[in-house]
Amino acid sequence: MFASSWLILLFPLAGFIFLSWYGERVSKTLVGLIGCGSVGAAFLTSLAALSDLLFLPAEERVGRVEVLYQWISAATFKLDLAILVDPLSVFMFLIVTGVGFVIHVYSIGYMHDDPEYSRFFSYLNLFVFSMLVLVAAADFFFLIVGWALVGLASYLLIGFYKEKTSAVLAARKAFVMNVIGDVGMVIAAFVIFESFGSLNFIEVFSAAPGTFRLNDDQILLITLLLLVGAFAKSAQLPLHTWLPDAMEGPTPVSALIHAATMVTAGVYLVARCHVLYELAPFTMYFIATVGVLTAAFAGTMGMVQYDIKRVIAYSTMSQLGYMFLAMGIGVYSLGMFHLMTHAFFKALLFLAAGSVIHALDGEQDIRKMGGLRKVMPLTHATFLIGALALAGFPLTSGYFSKEAIILSSYHADMGNFVFWAIALITAGMTAFYIFRVYFSTFIGQTRSPEAHPHESPASMAVPLVILAVLALGGGFLSPLVDSFLAPVFGREVHHFHDGILETIALLAGIGGIATAALVYQVSKDRIELMKEAFAPLYDLLFHKYYVDELYDLLIVKPTKAIGSFMEERAEKQGIDFAVDEVGFQVKEVSRGISFWQSGRVRTYALNMVAGMVIILLFVVFL
Amino acid sequence: MLTLIIFIPLLTALALIFVARENTGVIRAAGIGATTATLVVSLWILFTFDTSNPGMQFVQSAHWVPALHINYLVGVDGISLWMVVLTAFLGVISLLLSLNQKKNLRDFVALMLALEAGTLGVFMALDTILFYVFWELMLVPTYFIIGIWGEGRRVYATMKFVVYTLVGSLLMLVAIITLTMVHYGATHEVTFDLRILAHTHIDPFMQAWMFLCFFVAFAIKVPVFPLHSWLPHAYVACPIPALILLTGAMSKTGAYGLLRFCLPLFPDAVDSMALVIGFMAASGMVYGAWIALAQRDIKSLVAYSSISHLGFIVLGIFAQNGEGIEGSVLQMVNHGIIASALFIIVGFIELRMGTRNLGELKGLSKSMPVLYGVFMLVMLAALGLPGLNGFVGEFLILMGVWTSNLLAELAGILVLMGGLSIVFASIYMLYMFQGAMQEKPNSENVSDINSGEFKLLLPACLLILLIGLYPKPFIDRVSPSVDSLLHLEKTVNLEAGKDSGHH
Repeated sequence: MFASSWLILLFPLAGFIFLSWYGERVSKTLVGLIGCGSVGAAFLTSLAALSDLLFLPAEERVGRVEVLYQWISAATFKLDLAILVDPLSVFMFLIVTGVGFVIHVYSIGYMHDDPEYSRFFSYLNLFVFSMLVLVAAADFFFLIVGWALVGLASYLLIGFYKEKTSAVLAARKAFVMNVIGDVGMVIAAFVIFESFGSLNFIEVFSAAPGTFRLNDDQILLITLLLLVGAFAKSAQLPLHTWLPDAMEGPTPVSALIHAATMVTAGVYLVARCHVLYELAPFTMYFIATVGVLTAAFAGTMGMVQYDIKRVIAYSTMSQLGYMFLAMGIGVYSLGMFHLMTHAFFKALLFLAAGSVIHALDGEQDIRKMGGLRKVMPLTHATFLIGALALAGFPLTSGYFSKEAIILSSYHADMGNFVFWAIALITAGMTAFYIFRVYFSTFIGQTRSPEAHPHESPASMAVPLVILAVLALGGGFLSPLVDSFLAPVFGREVHHFHDGILETIALLAGIGGIATAALVYQVSKDRIELMKEAFAPLYDLLFHKYYVDELYDLLIVKPTKAIGSFMEERAEKQGIDFAVDEVGFQVKEVSRGISFWQSGRVRTYALNMVAGMVIILLFVVFL
Repeated sequence: MLTLIIFIPLLTALALIFVARENTGVIRAAGIGATTATLVVSLWILFTFDTSNPGMQFVQSAHWVPALHINYLVGVDGISLWMVVLTAFLGVISLLLSLNQKKNLRDFVALMLALEAGTLGVFMALDTILFYVFWELMLVPTYFIIGIWGEGRRVYATMKFVVYTLVGSLLMLVAIITLTMVHYGATHEVTFDLRILAHTHIDPFMQAWMFLCFFVAFAIKVPVFPLHSWLPHAYVACPIPALILLTGAMSKTGAYGLLRFCLPLFPDAVDSMALVIGFMAASGMVYGAWIALAQRDIKSLVAYSSISHLGFIVLGIFAQNGEGIEGSVLQMVNHGIIASALFIIVGFIELRMGTRNLGELKGLSKSMPVLYGVFMLVMLAALGLPGLNGFVGEFLILMGVWTSNLLAELAGILVLMGGLSIVFASIYMLYMFQGAMQEKPNSENVSDINSGEFKLLLPACLLILLIGLYPKPFIDRVSPSVDSLLHLEKTVNLEAGKDSGHH
C-alpha cells in the first residue's frame, strides 16, 4: 500500500536521481530549485504527517506501519519494505527536512561559484534521503540500510573536494569508522533475530519485556552492540576521531552532518530502542557515563583549537554527550528536545561561521580574524544568538534544553552527583570556548588588513535569520515536544525544579562567558606565558589527547604491517611456495623413476628378469 | 531446451575451426550470435521456470554409454537456475569484450565459447560422469587461454592452475566411481543418476573420505583457503574477457558442487566437518582481505578480494540452514556480477593508462566522470554497502551462521571474522577507488569510457541496484530447492538412524 508518508522519502530521492543524471546539463537556477524544492516538499509532507498525527487522540498516536512490498522471504527470515510513522519518526522528519531545507537554501549562495554545483546538491539530497530512511525504518534491517547510506553520503560530502588529499583521507576515515559501527549493528540484528525471530520494531519491542529479565546476557549483548553503531555515528568515545576531520567538507555539509542529520542518529537509535535499553540498566548507566565523559573530553579539546569550524565541531561532540547522558538516565524526551534545539543553534553557528569563512575567502583561523562585527552586522548578530544558545544563556533555546538535562542528571533516579558535576563543568567550558571564538572573530580590530570582508548575499542571510529565530525562541516548544513524544516513551517526562542547582548551572554558563571576555582582554604576551606554563597540558589538548596517533600506532600500522608480512611470508613464501614445492618434488621423484624408463632394451630385459626373480622368491618363500 | 544452452556455444566453437582466421566479421557474428542465443534460451528457462517446484525441471536424457548406464542427463532446479542464467549473461559480456582481441581472434572466441559451454554443462549435468566430463571441459580452454593470450608469467600460471585443478578432479573421479559402486553394493543397480544416488545410504566412514575427495576438488575450484594459491597467478595472468568467465562463473562451479554433491550425498560427513570447513572459509575471508590491503596492483587486489568474498559463500553453505544457503546462492550471483564488473573496470583503466599500479594511477575522476560513477557503484556493492546487492547476501549468510546448529560452537567468532573482513573490504576498496580516481590527476587527457563500454557495465549496475532493492524474486526461486535439499538430508539421516538402530 502506498501511503502519502512515502513521499517524504521519495522527494529527496527523486531530487538526488535527477540531479546526478541531468544536473550537469541544466541551469544552476534549476539545480538549486530542485535541490531545495525536493527537501522543501518533503518538509511540507512531514508537516502533513504531523497534522495527521495531531488529529488523532493521544492514545492512538502509537504509530502506523506503511508496507510497500515484501522485500525478502528466505527460510524463516521475512521482511517487508516498510516505514514506521509515529511521533518519534515524524519529529525526526521535521528536524531533518526543516533544518535540512534551510541549509540547502544557504548552499545556493555558499556554493554558487563551485564548478561542481550540481554534484553538491545531488549529494545533499542523498544525505537527507538517507537520514530519512534511517528514521523512517520500521525494522532493524532498513535502519541499518539508512545507517549505511548516511555513512556513504557523509563520505561523499566530506570528500567533496576530491582533489584535496586531506579531504580524501578524512572521507575514508569517516567511512571506515562508520562501517565499524555498521558491523556492530548487523551483529546486533542477528542477536535480535535469534531472540525474537523478527527484526520488526513493533514485534520486537512488544515481545521484549516478556522475553528478557533485567540485565540478561542476551539483552546486554544487543544493547551494547547497537551502541557500537550509535557511538560511531554520533562520534562518542572512543569512535569519535572522524568528526573533527570531517571539517574537510564544505561548511554547509558540516552544518548538515552536525545539526540535521548523521550525528543525531545514535541518539535517535537509543530513543527508538528505549524499550530494549530499559531492560538493560547496566547499558543505560554505560551510555550516561560515556556521554558525560565525551561531553567533558570534547569540551577540553574545544578550548584550545584555532580553527573556527573545529571548535564548533568539538562543541557538537560535547553536546551529543549531553544527549546521551539524557538517554542514559532515562529522560528521553529531554534528550530529543536537546537534539532539536541543538539542531537549530548548531546549524546556525556553522552557517554563520560559513558566512565568515566565505567573507574571508576561506580563512578559518580565528587568530587572523577580528572586528567583523562592523562589516558583517547580520552574521555577527546571528552568531551571537547561536553562541548564547550553545552557552545556555537564559531564555535562549539551549538554556531550556541543556539546563533540564543537567538538572535531571542529579535528580533523576539514575542520576548522581558525579554526572551532574561533570555536566556542569562542561557547561562552563562550553560557554568559554564558544565566546573565545566570538570575541576573537567579531570584536576588536581586524587582524588581516589585506582582506576585504563583506556581508553575505540574501540566500545566505535569510537562512541565518530563520535559524536565529528558532535558536532564540525554540526553547518555548519544550512542553509541546514533551507531550507529543509522550506516547512513544510511554510517559511524560518529569521536569525537576531545584532553585539552587539551576542557579549554579546558570552561573557556570555566565562564568564561562565572563572568563572568555577576560582572557580576551589579557594581552598576547600573557597568554603566551600561560601557554608555556601549562605547555604539557596544552599540547595534550591541542593534539586531541593523541588519540589519532594512538590508533595509528596500535591499529592502523600493525594492520598494514601484518598485511604486508602475510603477503610476503604466508602467501608467497608459505602457501604458494609449499604448493610449488609439492609439484617440484613430484617432478624430482618422477625424474628418479624415469631412470628405469631408459628406452634401452637391455635394461628392460634386466629389469624383467629381476622382477621375475623377486616374484619367484616371494612365491617360494611365503 | 537445456541441451540447446550447452550445444549452441559448443557447436559454434567447433564450427569456428572451419572459418578462416582472417574472416573476423563471421567470427564476431558467430560469437555474438551464439552467446546471445544462449542467453535468450536461458532467459526463456528463467521465465518459464516453475517457482513452486523444488525438483529438477526441463529434464532431458539420452543414452550415452548404455553398457555402463552412463546417460546424458541434464536439468535445472532453483539452485542451478541462477547459475545458468548468470553464466549465459557473463558469456555475452565476456564475448563482447573479447572482440578487441587482436591476436588470433578465431581461436580465442572458439575457446571462450567452449569454456562457456563447459561451465553451463557443469551447472546442468545430473549424471555424475557427465558432470565430470564438463568439469574437465572447462579446464582445457582455460589452459590455452591463459597460456597463449595471458600476460606475465602465463605459462607458470596456467600450469599451476591446471595441475592443481587436475589433482582435485581426479580425486573427484575416484569418488564418483566409488559412489556408484556403493550404490551397486546396496541395490545391484548401476547408475550415475545423481537423483537416485542421493538416496543411497553410505556408512559414515565411507562418507568421510568420499566427502573429502569431492570437497578437495570443489575447494580448489572455488578456491577455499588454503587451497587458493593458484588463483592470484591465474587471475593476474588471465586476459580480462576470460577472467570474467573464470571469476564470475567458473569459481561458482566449486560452490555449486558443494551444494549439489557434498550436502545431499554425505550428510554425516558434513555434520562432522562443517565446523572445520566453516573456520577455513572464514579464515580465507580474513586472510584474503588482509592480503588485499597490501596489494598495489589493482587486478591482484580484486583477485584477493575475490578470495575473501568466495569464503563467504562457502561459509554460508556450511551453515546448513535456509538463510545461510540461500544467502550463499544469492551471493554467488552477486559475486559473479560484482567481481566481473570490477575486472572490466580494471581492464578499462589499464587500457587507457597502461598500468594497474596504484602508485602510478591518480585522479582519474576528473577526466573520466562516467567511469567514476560506475566504479563507485560497483565498489560500494563490493564492499557490501547496505541497500546494494552484496549486502543482502552477506547479511543472510552471516545470519545463517549466527543461527546455525552446526556452527554454533564457533558462531560468534565466525561472525566476527565476517565483520572484520567487511571492515577490511571497506578499507581496501576505498584505497583502490580513491587511489585510482581521486586526488590531483597526473595527466588530464585521458578519454572517458565510450558508450559501448558503458553498455557493458550498465547491466551489472542495474542488477546491483535491483537485487539490493528487491531480492525477493531471486530468493523465491531458490528457496524451494534449498528447502528440499535440507529436507532430503534429514530423511537420509533418519534412515541412517534407523539402520544403525537395527544393528
